[in-house]
Amino acid sequence: MRATAGARAFRYGVIGSWSIIVVFPLFWLVTGAFKQQHDIFPNATYIPWVEFEPTLRAFRTVFTEYRSQTINAFTNSLVSAITSAAAATVLGALAAYALTRFRFRVGPFKNDDIAFFFISQRMLPPVVIVFPFLLMYRTIGLLDSVWGLALAYTLFNLPLAVWILRDAFRAVATDIEESALVDGCTRFGAFLKVSLPLAAPGLVTSFVVCLIFAWNEFLFALILTFRKAQTIPILIAGQANQLGQYWWIMAAIALLSLIPMVACGIAVQRWLIRGLSAGGVRG
Amino acid sequence: MASVRFEHVTKRFGEVTAVRDFSLAIDDREFLVLVGPSGCGKSTTLRMLAGLEEVSEGEIHIGDRRVTELPPRHRDIAMVFQSYALYPHMTVHGNLAFSLKNRGVPPDEIRRRVHEAAEILDIAGLLSRRPRHLSGGERQRVALGRAIVREPQAFLMDEPLSNLDAQLRVSTRAELVKLHRRLETTFVYVTHDQVEAMTMGTRVAVLRNGVLEQVADAQTLYDRPANLFVASFIGSPQMNLIPADVRVEGGSIHVEAEGMGLVLDANGRRFDEPPASAILGIRPEHIDLAGEEPPPGRTVVRAEVSYVEPMGGEALMGFIVGEKELVAKVREPRGVRAGEHVSVAIETRRVYLYDRETERLALAPA
Repeated sequence: MRATAGARAFRYGVIGSWSIIVVFPLFWLVTGAFKQQHDIFPNATYIPWVEFEPTLRAFRTVFTEYRSQTINAFTNSLVSAITSAAAATVLGALAAYALTRFRFRVGPFKNDDIAFFFISQRMLPPVVIVFPFLLMYRTIGLLDSVWGLALAYTLFNLPLAVWILRDAFRAVATDIEESALVDGCTRFGAFLKVSLPLAAPGLVTSFVVCLIFAWNEFLFALILTFRKAQTIPILIAGQANQLGQYWWIMAAIALLSLIPMVACGIAVQRWLIRGLSAGGVRG
Repeated sequence: MASVRFEHVTKRFGEVTAVRDFSLAIDDREFLVLVGPSGCGKSTTLRMLAGLEEVSEGEIHIGDRRVTELPPRHRDIAMVFQSYALYPHMTVHGNLAFSLKNRGVPPDEIRRRVHEAAEILDIAGLLSRRPRHLSGGERQRVALGRAIVREPQAFLMDEPLSNLDAQLRVSTRAELVKLHRRLETTFVYVTHDQVEAMTMGTRVAVLRNGVLEQVADAQTLYDRPANLFVASFIGSPQMNLIPADVRVEGGSIHVEAEGMGLVLDANGRRFDEPPASAILGIRPEHIDLAGEEPPPGRTVVRAEVSYVEPMGGEALMGFIVGEKELVAKVREPRGVRAGEHVSVAIETRRVYLYDRETERLALAPA
């Protein structure tokens, strides 16, 4: 069926406008990183080499004047994001496996209710729980600590991991595990040697989703860290302060912070796509 | 190589009793088939034997070991699943070697046994492939191979042929029987298909609603079905069952059913107490068109032909007698067509009588 010219124009119009909405911030970010103050204030410029001359000045500032802060923030972000994503995925895998394979009963609550409790943790606005966290962390001395932050992210990401992995383990046929049990595995052996490898795409998805969440998390990092454990989003936000708003520096750091996530995305893309067809070995 | 013994085994899932007081002794090297309609508890029974399902009551022994509480890995059994349940992330070699590796068999020995099993099953050329690149028949062989390399005490098979197409199923059936003879190991085989059960099993156990109805070799099951359920389940097309009145007069038994009057010779047949009301059972093979002069021992009735299904030489025919339609396997159809009225001969001495109350066999054929 061929669309009429009008319908086609409408279709491309919609796609085009949506693309602009999606792409423009990225364009603004990338160009911004190569600008200097007078390219932004008092009048914004858009087109490189025509309206403004791209410069590496912002990056130079980030790597010289801001050097120690930048390295510190990147290290903290990497450590807290990777640790928490890994921990949430490991714990989530254990919880999700148990929820899909064993029958629980706590009073009137069954497996699905328990799974729902996990996800319900994410229903509170984070700002509601961040202050109790602040008080608890102050008491146990976890404030301004990258491990404290990693712990908070783990707790916060666990529901997501459980939810994603529950689907992943549901897709693994129980026959295959039972076959492993008959073939000499313990329950845990069957989990490690058969269920986990078969749930690999789910594990990767869970890890990446948690990683991105933690990498970009702002509120907890803002409240629970001051200086030592500061992360990239805080460093970026810090560029807008009483002295003015250093858009070009923000853009440069933000651009740098994109790099690890994009690299990670490309590295695991193969696995994410495989996830869609993983259940493919039919009887 | 071991015998298997179920002693008063019961399995409950919550309120539902899936298997009730199941007792069965399976001899060493026997090919025992558990057969019954879906939901009869045959798979649950097998899974209890494998250790994949806990036993609610009773005991299970393999050889001289009591295995009731043992986890599957300590039972020394191998199982072939309906879905084959191959490990998708391993090659065929990996699939076959998996159980041996788990048991700490040395690598040389593993290689030898994997190749031996692959030779037996003719899958040596597939060892480096992954399950997703195999055909259904090949997967089935790999699943068998995975069981064979183990050299287990017993093979458990849960409907292993049901995912194969009809032709492959028939040939694999024969191969499984050959394999059983070659391995000389106890097989416990679950199927819902009575033809599979009859052709493969040295003995067949028929289950219904979690209750063991009858255990016997195929011929006995066919010749002397102990109750109405087995009578209707074993044999294809199934036995004709007709409500009947029974009178015993002197040396003979008079059966009235749908206007047919059969006089059975009581000679040599035990028939202690005639049932108040009975069910007359006639196998389709024992109903035929009556010739000009039917041989002795046959009761001739008039019937209308309701349908004819030619099957090469023979034909299946429906005969309407009274209110009932009887299915018959007619050896020489002689061009009879639906709608015709014909004379039908019933082999009187091959009929069964079941007690309608207890559903048990009251009178077996002579």
